[in-house]
Amino acid sequence: MRTGVIGLILPPTFSFLEMMWRICPALAVGCTVVALVPPASPTPLLLAQLSGELGPFPGILNVISGPVSLVPVLASQPGIQKVAFCGALEEGRALRRSLAGECAELGLALGTESLLLLTDTADIDSAVEGVVDAAWSDRGPGGLRLLIQESVWDEAMRRLQERMGRLRSGRGLDGAVDMGARGAAACDLVQRFVREAQSQGAQVFQAGDVPSERPFYPPTLVSNLPPASPCAQVEVPWPVVVASPFRTAKEALLVANGTPRGGSASVWSERLGQALELGYGLQVGTVWINAHGLRDPSVPTGGCKESGCSWHGGPDGLYEYLRPSGTPARLSCLSKNLNYDTFGLAVPSTLPAGPEIGPSPAPPYGLFVGGRFQAPGAQSSRPIQDSSGNLHGYMAEGGAKDIRGAVEAAHQAFPGWAGQSPGARASLLWALAAALERRKSTLASRLERQGVELKAAEAEVELSARRLRAWGARAQAQGHTLQVAGLRGPVLRLREPLGVLAVVCPDEWPLLAFVSLLAPALAYGNTVVMVPSAACPLLALEVCQDMATLFPAGLANVVTGDQDHLTRCLALHQDVQAMWYFGSAQGSQFVEWASAGNLKPVWASRGCLRAWDQEAEGAGPELGLRAARTKALWLPMGD
Amino acid sequence: MSAHNRGTELDLSWISKIQVNHPAVLRRAEQIQARRTVKKEWQAAWLLKAVTFIDLTTLSGDDTSSNIQRLCCKAKYPIREDLLKALNMHDKGITTAAVCVYPARVCDAVKALKAAGCNIPVASVATGFPAGQTHLKTRLEEIRLAVEDGATEIDVVINRSLVLTGQWGALYDEIRQFRKACGEAHLKTILATGELGSLTNVYKASMIAMMAGSDFIKTSTGKETVNATFPVAIVMLRAIRDFFWKTGNKIGFKPAGGIRSAKDSLAWLSLVKEELGDEWLKPELFRIGASTLLSDIERQIYHHVTGRYAAYHDLPMS
Repeated sequence: MRTGVIGLILPPTFSFLEMMWRICPALAVGCTVVALVPPASPTPLLLAQLSGELGPFPGILNVISGPVSLVPVLASQPGIQKVAFCGALEEGRALRRSLAGECAELGLALGTESLLLLTDTADIDSAVEGVVDAAWSDRGPGGLRLLIQESVWDEAMRRLQERMGRLRSGRGLDGAVDMGARGAAACDLVQRFVREAQSQGAQVFQAGDVPSERPFYPPTLVSNLPPASPCAQVEVPWPVVVASPFRTAKEALLVANGTPRGGSASVWSERLGQALELGYGLQVGTVWINAHGLRDPSVPTGGCKESGCSWHGGPDGLYEYLRPSGTPARLSCLSKNLNYDTFGLAVPSTLPAGPEIGPSPAPPYGLFVGGRFQAPGAQSSRPIQDSSGNLHGYMAEGGAKDIRGAVEAAHQAFPGWAGQSPGARASLLWALAAALERRKSTLASRLERQGVELKAAEAEVELSARRLRAWGARAQAQGHTLQVAGLRGPVLRLREPLGVLAVVCPDEWPLLAFVSLLAPALAYGNTVVMVPSAACPLLALEVCQDMATLFPAGLANVVTGDQDHLTRCLALHQDVQAMWYFGSAQGSQFVEWASAGNLKPVWASRGCLRAWDQEAEGAGPELGLRAARTKALWLPMGD
Repeated sequence: MSAHNRGTELDLSWISKIQVNHPAVLRRAEQIQARRTVKKEWQAAWLLKAVTFIDLTTLSGDDTSSNIQRLCCKAKYPIREDLLKALNMHDKGITTAAVCVYPARVCDAVKALKAAGCNIPVASVATGFPAGQTHLKTRLEEIRLAVEDGATEIDVVINRSLVLTGQWGALYDEIRQFRKACGEAHLKTILATGELGSLTNVYKASMIAMMAGSDFIKTSTGKETVNATFPVAIVMLRAIRDFFWKTGNKIGFKPAGGIRSAKDSLAWLSLVKEELGDEWLKPELFRIGASTLLSDIERQIYHHVTGRYAAYHDLPMS
């Protein structure tokens, strides 16, 4: 089902093609578009005029030409259902913060830097052409980080410098130019960057036939920039290439992944095995093998980490503008007086209401972190009541330290789990399903104490086991090949795990919702840190007893405690790759606001209840889409 | 004639680690044709320069002294006099770079050029052109006879079977022998790239040919199914550049076969300028092997001067 009205915000230097790739899918699925473009470019206005000539459908494409200050105004208009922002990192962050709680969804596509990895088994001359395509032509969006294997450093630098000498820059109508200019602002930015780099001891090489007037800047090659210098932390601006050496392929992966940006990268190597290993290992949205900058509307293009997680092109691009049918339109849950600094900061203490009467319940559960039950850092527990007000049990009071430990444990378990074959993951999930069925009577009796009828309780347990099996089976699907016109060779659309997924479970359906969220996350190769239902976490903790014996340590971690406090810790954690929140409306707003820290993709319920027992909402394709991220792997072929 | 390439000792490490990525080279080839275009009077100047690079060729079974004579005359006067006068280039001595014929016709060509009072060199193909599948003894004898008859440039074909079986040492030795048989004549080594199988083989064969002492490397005989294409040329030009970086010797480049239109010839000039630089845009280091190209260039020049399109019969035949 289509989303509605899309607000599209484009950066100061965008290409016509990029704009069309965002507008056309939106129109194709039935959304209407309002685009905000910088005042310097008249092309989108012409496009809007052409679309206005479609008599029966005036107003499907509207274009406003205005300055950057209009961005928050457009984004907070009541009629807009989704804002697609394309531009610089800081503006994207600010937009994310200001849109927390608004009814518009946000899709971010940030940053223009890309990466080129040159190994010693590459065709160096062709890789140099790849560098030209990436950084010194009108096709490349921004600067380039170039990683060259140490054994071919001298040769590669020599060929690069020779090639730079042949580049020509000038106005587009000249007919014999390689690249043009990107405006005065871009020119200032790159001048500052180069000055700073020089002052930190880098070597700067510039060449090429470039006019000396202001908006033109010569192609620049920076080497010997120490990685710890402040210059090396920011994005590389156009038209700079920052070159650094590496020793082995493993080191290359560490260096390449050691940056918050995750847009696109290319790997140059004639050894198939090495090229594929590097391609699969890079944490980016698009990988080209022995090519750079190839694009096609049928291939999804996007990023991960701080490059934002919105996609254009391919099936993922269409999903941006769709939402599952039957879900109601998102309501704004904005509460203007939510104090982000104090939300969830202090944990309200719970004192016992009176002397405890009745049989003593079982000893308090600890937190399930790192494969075993541990005592919480705060060394305290809180009582859990059942539906008739009696004491049901005690749960541990988890805090910030416990969250930190849980996320670390999840990260340690992640490489092993992600490296497992889909079959191995499926068998673990099936084993858990069998364990749940063996435990049916205990779980059913606990659910009864929470006020659920016996029959319904047993049905819930069976449904949970069935869901685990179903997701285990779905783990088989890895990725598929796309057909791209004009390219000889396959393009693979891979589905990769996100990393560590933080899930805050809803209060309703304490067992079913917990399992319905755990299963897809694990099936796609993620490790999880879960905060179970606040009203009755004991069911989740029962499941943990089985997980302790079946799962590798750290695969699933369950931390109980005050929901708001734990939500705060998880949302602000920079090393959590994605977050699913099914709590209150205020909590949703906080989670969206806090995700601006590392721009993690967030799925928040905004206080709406979800029918977990229905197939569409409890086990629908939306869960599978959100549990993994896409990577496009281009493999041009030919000899 | 410029000094000969004395060649170097065989060093297989120059070719052992080389890799050429075919799709990337194809992309670069498309780019060159799209990104460097010349118009108006600069185009006319480039076309005249292209004329001075042409090795006017006739390699057919039915060549006799009459069409050789016509060819040599056209080589002396490639563009019609009045068109050159209109461009103010009639006194610059614009002729083609050479005339290229089969060994049996060398005598006729030398005679015709002497009669016309023109001192452009006669190039002869040799060593079992075009397939090269004859005994080494007869191949060397062909070179010696052609040189005796008066050819000052020899276009030899390499033994493709040596490339396809990886016998680089034997290939080096053969070309060394061709070099010796040429004596003072200019040696152009035809690699027949359409039959070498992969771009990596093209690079390796180019390097071996240059190490063995060729003055020029040439893409093809013109008789294969695939002759001179941009991807192959890019690889050969990169080999020439690498050889220059290693030894300081400048080796020439000649594409042959399949170059028919003036637009193509401009693209070839851009390619050499981009990959090697302006120093290679001289007849001593760059030739184009063509026969019908000259008429198309003449028609373009006619259009530039008069603004009208010529018919083929408006311009003298070659």
